[in-house]
Amino acid sequence: MPRPLADRRWVGWATFAARQILGIVLVVAGALKLPWPEASVQAVRAYQLLPFDLTRPIGYALPVLEVIVGLLLMLGLFTRLAAWIGAAVMVAFIVGISWVWAHGISIDCGCFGGGGASENGIAQYPWEIARDVGLLACGVWGGLFPRSPLALDTWLFGAAESIDTDVTEDEDPEES
Amino acid sequence: MSQSRREALRRQQQAQARAKRTQRIVIVGAIVLAVAVVAVFATIFLSQLNKGGNPVAGSQATPVNATSDSTGIIVNPGTYADGAPKVEIFLDYQCPVCKQFESMHGATLDEMASAGQIQLIYRTMTFLDNNLRNDSSLKAGIGAACADNAGQYSAYHNAVFAGQPSTEGTGYTTQQLRVDFPATAGITGDALSGFQNCYDTKATQSFVEGTNEKASEAGVNSTPTIQVNGTKLDNNTVFSASTDAFKQLLLTTKGNG
Repeated sequence: MPRPLADRRWVGWATFAARQILGIVLVVAGALKLPWPEASVQAVRAYQLLPFDLTRPIGYALPVLEVIVGLLLMLGLFTRLAAWIGAAVMVAFIVGISWVWAHGISIDCGCFGGGGASENGIAQYPWEIARDVGLLACGVWGGLFPRSPLALDTWLFGAAESIDTDVTEDEDPEES
Repeated sequence: MSQSRREALRRQQQAQARAKRTQRIVIVGAIVLAVAVVAVFATIFLSQLNKGGNPVAGSQATPVNATSDSTGIIVNPGTYADGAPKVEIFLDYQCPVCKQFESMHGATLDEMASAGQIQLIYRTMTFLDNNLRNDSSLKAGIGAACADNAGQYSAYHNAVFAGQPSTEGTGYTTQQLRVDFPATAGITGDALSGFQNCYDTKATQSFVEGTNEKASEAGVNSTPTIQVNGTKLDNNTVFSASTDAFKQLLLTTKGNG
């Protein structure tokens, strides 16, 4: 019988690469914004997409969320959940940039700090969306195949499997 | 040991291992959540420090010529004719393009305001403090609002733009905002000590933070933005307009209700 895809060595290493790429980008993006939450609020407002009252909580929470999810991915802790959250965040960014593009609003995406109105913002949108689609792919991959080498998940939670290999109903070493 | 006993023992061990694993997941998950909550509160706390603290309680005042909804300050209270267009200028004292606008059309605005042809309102924003990582926009805004109480809002406003540093982000010094600009604006004697007391106690900080917030809420996120009877003007048009064309623009722009 062929081994399932998720058990193949290269799949594990692909997940390792995916979670490092998405994780590092999220940590850097979050850390750059973290010390300046009011600037982050402003960047959120520049999209003119969310109700005004939501912009402050989201502006404050988003950098923290990015850093934490990014760290989880880098460490391989709660990989599946973190990868899906990372993917969801990327979907939100893609929707946001598409929205401003569709409405002809020219802004700095505020992805890595900064933000607000910008003269040549629109010219950046295609590549920003392409980048976020790539990161979204990393997130989806990590969500589908969360098992990977050098992950805290295996070290912390993987022990249940090592007692008995025929525990088939519990095939995933990650959190459920 | 019989087959079934061995089987039962093994199942028991498995169940225990699974329970332990679940316990570890819950503990580690709780730690991650706790770190997240602490991080959010730390961010809020640190941003308060970056802002230079909250306004001094009990000292907060609204400038005398503030609009009734505290969105800005009326430059020419009482002098504008009934039905004169309401011209709102959204500005940030650290914004170089605002200075350009000021040197291009500022005199025209002042002239039309004192002639009563328009109702002129300045809506001060402070968002460049976030971009430039300083607090000069807020401080200049506080100074200008204090100058309103000293009866020299427009003159102080003009002095700030005239004194804007050539490099964006250099910011204004306390000496400029507290001494030089009021001197240029002609604030002297008792008015000056009143002004400086207002400035030193940041008496208009809450008001200025409010004008920034209300401008954001109105969907303005860049400066200068010029709005006539609620309709935003296109900045390309504004900056290419001659003095006469600009006047016409202000007098003929239809409001949005």
